[in-house]
Amino acid sequence: MSININRPCGTFDRNYFQAKEIYRTPLRKILLALLIIGMYLLPFLAGDYGISILTLICAFIIGMLGLQIITGYCGQISIGHAAFMGVGMYTVGILQRHFGLNFWICLPLAGLVPMFIGMMFGVPALRMKGLYLAFATLAAHFVIVYVISNWRSVTNGTDGMWMKRPDAFFGIDFKSDRNYYLLVLTITIIMTYLATNLARSKLGRSFVAVRDNDIAAEVMGINIAYTKIMAFGIGCFFAGISGALGGAYYEYVNIEWFGLDDSIWYLGFLVVGGFGSIFGAIAGATVWKIMDEFSTLVTPLAEIFLGGAAFYASAAFSLVIYSLIIIVFLVLEPRGIAHRWEMVKRSYRLHPFPY
Amino acid sequence: MEETIKSIVLGLCSGGIYALLAVSYVVIYKSTRVFPFSQAAVLIIGAYIMWYCLIAWHLPIWLGFIITCAGGAILGMFIERAFMRPLVGQPILAPIVVTLCLMLFLRGIGILMGKGDIQGFGESFLPVGAWKVGFLHLPKIQVYGFILCAVLIAALMLFYEKTRTGLGMRVVHEDHVVAQNLGINVKRIFQYSWIISCIIAVVAGMLLGNIQGVGLALDANGLITIAAVLFGGLESFAGAIIAGLAIGILQMLTITYIAPLLPGETTMMIPFVFLLLILFIKPYGLFGLVRIERL
Repeated sequence: MSININRPCGTFDRNYFQAKEIYRTPLRKILLALLIIGMYLLPFLAGDYGISILTLICAFIIGMLGLQIITGYCGQISIGHAAFMGVGMYTVGILQRHFGLNFWICLPLAGLVPMFIGMMFGVPALRMKGLYLAFATLAAHFVIVYVISNWRSVTNGTDGMWMKRPDAFFGIDFKSDRNYYLLVLTITIIMTYLATNLARSKLGRSFVAVRDNDIAAEVMGINIAYTKIMAFGIGCFFAGISGALGGAYYEYVNIEWFGLDDSIWYLGFLVVGGFGSIFGAIAGATVWKIMDEFSTLVTPLAEIFLGGAAFYASAAFSLVIYSLIIIVFLVLEPRGIAHRWEMVKRSYRLHPFPY
Repeated sequence: MEETIKSIVLGLCSGGIYALLAVSYVVIYKSTRVFPFSQAAVLIIGAYIMWYCLIAWHLPIWLGFIITCAGGAILGMFIERAFMRPLVGQPILAPIVVTLCLMLFLRGIGILMGKGDIQGFGESFLPVGAWKVGFLHLPKIQVYGFILCAVLIAALMLFYEKTRTGLGMRVVHEDHVVAQNLGINVKRIFQYSWIISCIIAVVAGMLLGNIQGVGLALDANGLITIAAVLFGGLESFAGAIIAGLAIGILQMLTITYIAPLLPGETTMMIPFVFLLLILFIKPYGLFGLVRIERL
């Protein structure tokens, strides 16, 4: 299977220059530029509510890209991704609280600390794969959450702690949500660019080789141990950055934001978005956060139907609806939105003919 | 010393339920090669059905037991038919994600059933009190629960050994293609496995609900049992039983010796540290099959 599993049928790279290209057609380059400009202009049109949704979507896209690298590209299942996001969040929180460091210094550290912890929990991946690795990451989730919620002197336990947004930068004040959104968007674009290029690099191609058949990859001379641990490291780096940006948006961190269900939603919405493509990660994160907002909107309806005690109904609603969406997607369209989008494009391209 | 013996005996008693739960995971894993994370949440459903039968509808205990088992069987049949069968032959990721999502789905149903509260059985449906044997206090709930678990496991083993369907299930455990060629309906065996496993899980759920209170926290027991299943080896009933008892003892020893030293929910954390240790040292467990792969 090639890197671009979502490419339409009949489109091949005939030489190395084509294989190295990011944009297959000039139209794509123009559309991407328009999209980015549009994303930068959007906060000037949307209200405060719109900006808050957009910021969260951008932050979660980074985390989803990390999971895409671990699970989508390298094929190592991780059920602890939300916990690594939490480690990133708490790294910034702890550094600001105890050492008073600047956010700009904390941000790379918020990536590096989860990266090392992720590599540590990725070590079992050397001896096993598939289901067993899922167990290891599940255990990682519980151990990390236990440490964060009980190391009270450092993490302030389950009470959470305050975080500061980045200081002003060339006169841009990030206290305003709009400016902060622009910052998060910029970082998201940089990270997406990095992830896209990673997938085309030697390391990214060895990820795909390990995913498709790790024994065959080893025979071809790929160092499996190095590749798997790097996948975990890079994926958790992305998760940590995502957590730091999300936590700084709320200016507060809390252990309750990354439960086991969040880790499962990460994995599930990755499936909804589509495996093995950057677009899939972006689509998955977007659908997830839009669903989140939708479920908040529907809560008053639940109140009408179920009487006064709607606090439990909204929790149950999100659990039931999200899991049904993911299961239905897996049963009907296992390759996700990214694949469906390619199908739509193909039928448009071949319009009068069915194929 | 006395403390140690006490915690080992109590751990054995509570380990019976873990052994039962571990068997419920192994039943499905052996025949379908899918690890049913969802069984952790089937516990909640079982406990709530029993609670409705006994407290809300005032039914006698034996009727409640039968209704709960029937509910578990229908649930298992439904899960297999609706969600798992379309995924036969898909890559390993698909069933893992679906069973994890099913866990949350059943958890959501549990919240709706229980209206978000922790319910108690009022007075327990098993005898309360304790026997005094030497310096040991044996709570009757735990001992009766242990006996019920042992009876169920024995019945399951008899079913596997003596009946024709059980024989077919053992063939499916070995190889799906061979079983299909021998004229065994593999899909039906998958369905039987889910039904058996869900019945076991709801029984474990009502026993645990009787001890810990009926609530959403019950699925923590199911997650802890994953450590036991892995310790015993994913493909072994004997391993599951031994490891279930071992996890029970480990938990009691944790409460006695480690909990005073560390803050928070150590009973939840220690089994997972144990799981990580197993994964580092002996990833295929005590009696698990070591799969040798080739190109």
